[in-house]
This record gives sequence, structure tokens and C-alpha cells, in this order.
Amino acid sequence: MAVSQNKLVQWIDRRLPVFTYLDHELNEYPTPKNLNYWWNFGSLAGVMLVIMIATGIFLAMQYDPNAGDAFQSVERIMREVNYGWLIRYIHMNGASFFFIVVYIHLFRGLYYGSYKAPRELLWMLGVVIVLLMMATAFMGYVLPWGQMSFWGATVITNLFSAIPGVGKDIVTWLWGGFAVGNPTLNRFFALHYLLPFVILGVVILHILALHQHGSNNPLGIDRKGPQDSVPFHPYYTYKDMFGLSVFLIVFAIVVFYFPNLLAEPQNYIPANPMQTPPEIVPDWYLLSFYAILRSIPNKLLGVCALFGAIFILFLVPWLDTSKVRSAYFRPVYKWVFWLLVIDAFVLGDVGAHRPEGWWIVIGRIGTFYYFFHFIVLMPFIGWFERPLPLPPSIAEAVLKKRGGAPVGAAATRAKP
Amino acid sequence: MADSAHSHTAGAHAPGGSRRDFLVIAGNALLGVGAACTVWPLITSMNPARDVLAAGAPIDVDLSSLQPGQQVLVIWRSRPIFIVHRTPAELTKLQSSADTGLLRDPNSDVLQQPPYATNWHRSIKPEYLVLVGICTHLGCIPEFTPQPGGSLGPAWPGGYFCPCHGSRYDLSGRVFSGVPAPYNLPVPPHHFINDTTVRIGENPPNSTFDFDSIEQI
Amino acid sequence: MKPRLVIPALLAGAAVAVAMLAQPAQPARAQADEATPALPNVSWSFEGPFGTFDRAALQRGFQIYSQVCSACHSMDLLTYDDLAGSEGLGYTEEQVKAIAAQKQVADIDKNGQAIQRPARPSDHFVAPFANEAAAAAANGGKAPPDLSDIIKARESGPRYVYGILTGFREPPKGFQMPPSGGNYNLYFPGHVIAMPQPLQDDSVQYADGTKATLRQEAHDVVAFLTWASDPTMEQRKRTGAKVVLFLLAMTGVLYGAKRRVWSDVEH
Repeated sequence: MAVSQNKLVQWIDRRLPVFTYLDHELNEYPTPKNLNYWWNFGSLAGVMLVIMIATGIFLAMQYDPNAGDAFQSVERIMREVNYGWLIRYIHMNGASFFFIVVYIHLFRGLYYGSYKAPRELLWMLGVVIVLLMMATAFMGYVLPWGQMSFWGATVITNLFSAIPGVGKDIVTWLWGGFAVGNPTLNRFFALHYLLPFVILGVVILHILALHQHGSNNPLGIDRKGPQDSVPFHPYYTYKDMFGLSVFLIVFAIVVFYFPNLLAEPQNYIPANPMQTPPEIVPDWYLLSFYAILRSIPNKLLGVCALFGAIFILFLVPWLDTSKVRSAYFRPVYKWVFWLLVIDAFVLGDVGAHRPEGWWIVIGRIGTFYYFFHFIVLMPFIGWFERPLPLPPSIAEAVLKKRGGAPVGAAATRAKP
Repeated sequence: MADSAHSHTAGAHAPGGSRRDFLVIAGNALLGVGAACTVWPLITSMNPARDVLAAGAPIDVDLSSLQPGQQVLVIWRSRPIFIVHRTPAELTKLQSSADTGLLRDPNSDVLQQPPYATNWHRSIKPEYLVLVGICTHLGCIPEFTPQPGGSLGPAWPGGYFCPCHGSRYDLSGRVFSGVPAPYNLPVPPHHFINDTTVRIGENPPNSTFDFDSIEQI
Repeated sequence: MKPRLVIPALLAGAAVAVAMLAQPAQPARAQADEATPALPNVSWSFEGPFGTFDRAALQRGFQIYSQVCSACHSMDLLTYDDLAGSEGLGYTEEQVKAIAAQKQVADIDKNGQAIQRPARPSDHFVAPFANEAAAAAANGGKAPPDLSDIIKARESGPRYVYGILTGFREPPKGFQMPPSGGNYNLYFPGHVIAMPQPLQDDSVQYADGTKATLRQEAHDVVAFLTWASDPTMEQRKRTGAKVVLFLLAMTGVLYGAKRRVWSDVEH
């Protein structure tokens, strides 16, 4: 079937079927009709990646990655470059919003069982993206060469000295010198420019994996036929555009009216290797993991806990033993999921404070609970929980709900 | 582009159809406007920044030690500026029309200089010539070769020779015919703030010449 | 909110509330000494989404910086022509040239010899010391910080700097000043600041005739420093209003479009 009457389109398509492919993906690709607004966050993440790359490239045109000049070059962008202040604030706050969107997207997956077969690889690619984002953001934060840039880099690169034997050599290798300095800054700039394109590649794989079996949905049951789905375009293209617009309002309010809300004032002081700031904290999106790192009093084990906290996410498809995907139908897991959310926030607060007094205790409880949730709760709840009965199909669940008569407690809550 | 291939279109084009289309078109239009407004600051950020523009302020050059027959090179707006102290002999030669037949634009008809330099000496004071030292062909810096004859041949009256592709200019910066360069060397805005000091980058008080209006640097 | 989300949301909120209540009463930055009071409750014209700079206050503040603060504090990121025009302090080009020419700048002449010449508008603010080491040596081992970004570089910047300037007091009974000396200040973390009190009543005579009380001086110099930290603030807020209004309109239209598109599907 012809994609278009246009001869040029047909000429290209015969040789490189981009248009047929796009037509299929947009107009024929079946998407469950009952997706709710938690499913908007994937496309929001894609938009944020594009925004970060675009603003990043234009910032890189003006930024000077030399330790003597970097801080001043960023201030120059803010003060002298046409709209430099806007590009910089979008990039700076865009990092935060990128993480907000991705964390919500991740928790959506945990709640609705989007990581379960056959989407295990889709989930793992997502964890790879989060890891790459964290590395990219960490290196990006070093570039302005403020106090927190320098000292955050010092603390985090020093983590690798915990590796037995080769640790100190690895740290020296990372630094390119005796301490964090100009060589470190230069290589972080090179890698910070590179990694977003690696992320882009993994995102493409992520979308390809998604399209193999299509999206999950709030009921967690498979599509049975065309009555369960709608084509992606125009239904979800318009829903995504609407969701994007709402998101952009919040983003714009922060960028234009509260641009330093999430920023650390210490980072507006040029880096001084001879003066450690009173507290060293990473940006908020790394705080929970920072708390886990600091809660273990042993250096090496703390580093293991930090990386373990991320790598455990890879194992979720196998740690969760439930036969049922969506927490809609999982009366016990549903509450336990929220405990994990609370735990993430509590750990974040712990990471923001000095490790003293009650904070140490709360941090250790939070860290213990985090691993307990994945290693113990997920498998056990899956084995012993009695799930609620699943509806026969998406379409029937939607019809039952629209039909008016409330059927069961959980079975038919299929609103988009 | 593609037809919407789902089965629900029929109902949508009934009574509410036109409002659907209006909202959809309006939505798309606003998205387009939004995208354009987002791209604009990125593009314009590449224009010269405020400090770069400020660095293009006029510079003052002291000519008291510039001997007749000598040239000095200064930088203004990142460009080489030639300032030549021409000898009376050179001026006499320029004034005579003996060599003007060899020139592409002897009367400086093309806008390569301010109105106050549109004359045979292409400057304010005949003895001092101020030029932008960039060949109008492809941008190399021409060599100052005021001596007549020599390796450029017996007919060479003295002037500038560009080593890249062989363009030639006389001692008023006027381009010869038959060379790749199309235009005379540009004359920047300048004026004398006293007898021995020239200010490059500023017009005399009664002139409003805009240097960006010239044909080609 | 959907019923099934109410209890989880309450739980999450309760946990966050507990976590926040568990922390010490004052913000983490000012935790060094229990008795750091809350910052003074002062307001400025630039606060809020529609705030703008009061140019008369900016000019008075610049006068204070020039006559008092610049003896010790640099402002390397500013150039003299930043002061000109409606995005600056409202000075004319001529006034800015005169302000700049009062300062001398190191340069080299055409023979490569070091000379001093009057500053041009495109020069950065002339610093009081040649480099960091000289600044520290002249100030008891600690270099006075550059003020270009000071408002952004401190939590609650404007009120904090105002507090420091107006917060010098005699040390209370029983407070031990450290042997290395210092000055007691209510709002500085740890209460001992190396800087002696820089401003008093009538430290300057304002060019516009305003009465120069300490509070007025502190208020004006903070306004100037806030402008210096964030000179594009007004453009940012103006642009923000246009962007947010546009997005609100677009969101409304796209919501309508979405509803229309979905009107023919049971969902």
C-alpha cells in the first residue's frame, strides 16, 4: 500500500523505507486504549533529551573547558551572550526536570509491572539509560567549576580508591593528575558531550524493544484484539502534545521565575582547591544514592551499596515473582510500592543533611529497607499474595466502567 | 501525509467535525510558533555577544614615529589595518593618471570606502592612507611592496601584492584589472584626533558612514 | 484525587513531614551556632514575578561600592559599560566613560613595556589587588571575596548580605572571640567575621541627596549587588510572562484538541 501519492516520497521510500516505517509506527501501531497520564512520561523524557542536547550544543559553543577560565566562561554566557542566560537556565533546570520525568517513568514501570515478560530487556535498557544519565549529569555538574563542582568531583572520584589493589591507580588515572584539576575537567567535558548521544542510541533501542510487543497498560493484561487498542496517531500524539504543554508550563515557571530553586549557592563561588565547603552535596537527583553510600561506615562496602542500589534494578524482572503485572490487582504489593516511594524521598532528605545524629539512623533504616524491598519483599509477596481476578479484556473492562454498574473493587478502574 | 487508517474517522467528520479540525489545526499552529520561538534564542546566541561587540571599539594610533615610505599594521575588530605614510613622490605618481588605466575601479565607484575617502588618495590626509589589509579575493593579507619594478616587473608602480593568488593593488589600495580580486581594498572609518594621532573605527564628527554597508571586506 | 491514591499520598506526605520536622530548626547552612537569628525581614523592588530594579537605588548602591567596598572587594565579572543604559544602571555612555577613566589599568605599550592607562568602558572593573595572593596578604591571610555573584552565592542572598552589613554588634557576655581576632556579627555563621564593619550612618554622601542611614546604605548596596549578580533579571521575568501566557493558551487549545480526537473512542 502506498504511503503517499507524492512521487518524491515514493522514490525515497522504495530505497529507504522510512516513510512506510513511520506510517506503520504512527498509524497502524496498536496502543492500548486505556493508557492513563502516567504513560505520558516516556515521550516527555524523549523531549527532555532533545532539549538538553540542543541547549548543550549551543552552550558548548561558548564554554571554555579550561580550569582557569571555565567559571568565568559560564558567567560570560549568562551576562554577555544573546539569550545566554536562557539557554543556560534551561540546560541547568532541564537536567532536574529530565530526572523528575525519568524517575516517575521508572516508578510507573514498577507499579504496573511493565518490566515483566516479554518486556524485561526494555526495562533493562531503561536502567542503562538512567545510569548513563547519572554519569552525564555528574560530569556536567563539574563543568561550571564552582566549589561544589570541584569538591563533588573530588569526593565521587575518590570513591574508586575503595577498590582493593588497583583503586588508587584508577583514581589517578581518572584525575589525570595528583588531584582533580584541569585534565579532569577537560576529559569530563569531552565525555559529557559524548554520553548524551550514547543515551540517544540506547533510547532508540529502548523504543525498538517497546514496539516489539507494544505498551503495557494500567490493567497489565495483554491486548486481545483491535477492540482493545487505538492507533498511536492521532490518539496518543495529541494526548502527548497536551501533556507536554502542561509539563512545559511548570518547566517555564521554574526557568523564568525560580531558576536557582534547585541550585546550590556554593556553586556560584569559583572552585578553591584549598577550601572545602561546609557541606558537599550532589544535585538533588543523586541524593538518595548518596545517602545509601554514606549510610555504610565501611568505604568499600559503601561503594558496593551505591552501585548495588542501581544494579539491583536490572534484576527486578526476576525478583518479582508475581504472575500478575499491574498493582491494580495486587492488594499487598500496591501498599508496599508506596513504601518504596516514601523510602526514596526519605533517603533523599538524608542525603541532603550532614551525616550526624538521627540522620545516620534514618539513613541506615532507609538503606536497609531499599534492599529489603527488592531482595525479600518482591519475591515473597509475589509468591504468597492472592491477586484479584483479572478482567477478561481491556475493551470489556472499559465498557464495564463506562456502562455505569460498578462491578468489583479493582477490576474495572481503567480510566486513561 | 498518510491516511488515518482506523475505523473511527467516519463518525468524527459529522457535526463536531469542523471544530475538531479547528482545534487540531490551531494546536499544531501554536506548537509550530512555540517551536520557532524556542529555536530563535539558540540561533541568535551565535551572533556576536555584547563583549565581542564592545571589543570592536575604536583604537587610537600614534603616527609620530611613522616615517615616509613606511607602513604600520594595527588590529581593529580582529582585522589587520594598514596605515601608510606615503612619500611626496608616491603621491605625485598616484595623482597622475598614467597608471589609472591599469585599474579596475580607479574612481572608487564601488562602495568600499567612506564618502570622505572617495578621492584619488582614498583618505582624509593625502600623506596618510588607512586600509583594511584583507584581499578582496579570498581574504589573505597582501604584502606591502611600495618599490616600483623589482620582481613584479618593470611596469609595477608600487603598491600591494597578494601572494595567495597574485592580486595587485596600487598605493591607494585600488585593485588592478586582470587580477582575481574584484574590489579595491576597503577603507575603514577613521579620523585624526590631532596631527599625529589617527582614530580607527570612528567617523569624523560630521559623518555617519556605516562600515557594514561596504561591498565587501 | 482518585480514592485509591489518597492513602498512599497521605502516607508519603506524612513521611516527608516527619523527615523535615526531624531536622534542626534553622536551615542547614547556618547550623554552626544555635543562636543565629532569622534573617532581617526586608523587601526590595526586584522581588516577585513582576519585580523590577529601582535604578535610583542601583546608582546609590554603586556609589557605595565605588567609595567603600571597592577598596577591598573586586567585581571581576562586570565591565564599566554594563552600567550604561536601561539594562544597566541608566548611566549614559559619556557618564560611563568618565566613571571608567577614574581607574587605572595595567597594559603594555607598543614596545612591550608595562604601563598604566585609564580604563575604557569595555574594561572589567579594576580590582583593588593584583591577584588572590596579594588580596589575602593585605587582609590578614584571607582574601575578601569577589562580589560579582555574591547574592547568588549565598542562601537567601539579598537578606543575608543585608544582615551581614547591619549585623555587627558587641560580642554578647560570655562569647569567646577567637585568639586570631575578628568581628562579631549576628548573621555570619559562627558569628566571627574577618571583615570589620564597613558601613555606618553617613559613610557616603549620596549624589541624589537621599539620607544615608546604615539601613538605607545596606538596602541600596544590596540592590546594586543583586543587579550585578543577575543583570538580565528583568528581561528574564518579562520573557517569562510571555512564555507562560502562551503556554497556558496552547495548553487550553491542545486539551480541546485531545478531547475532540478521543471523542469517538470508549476510554
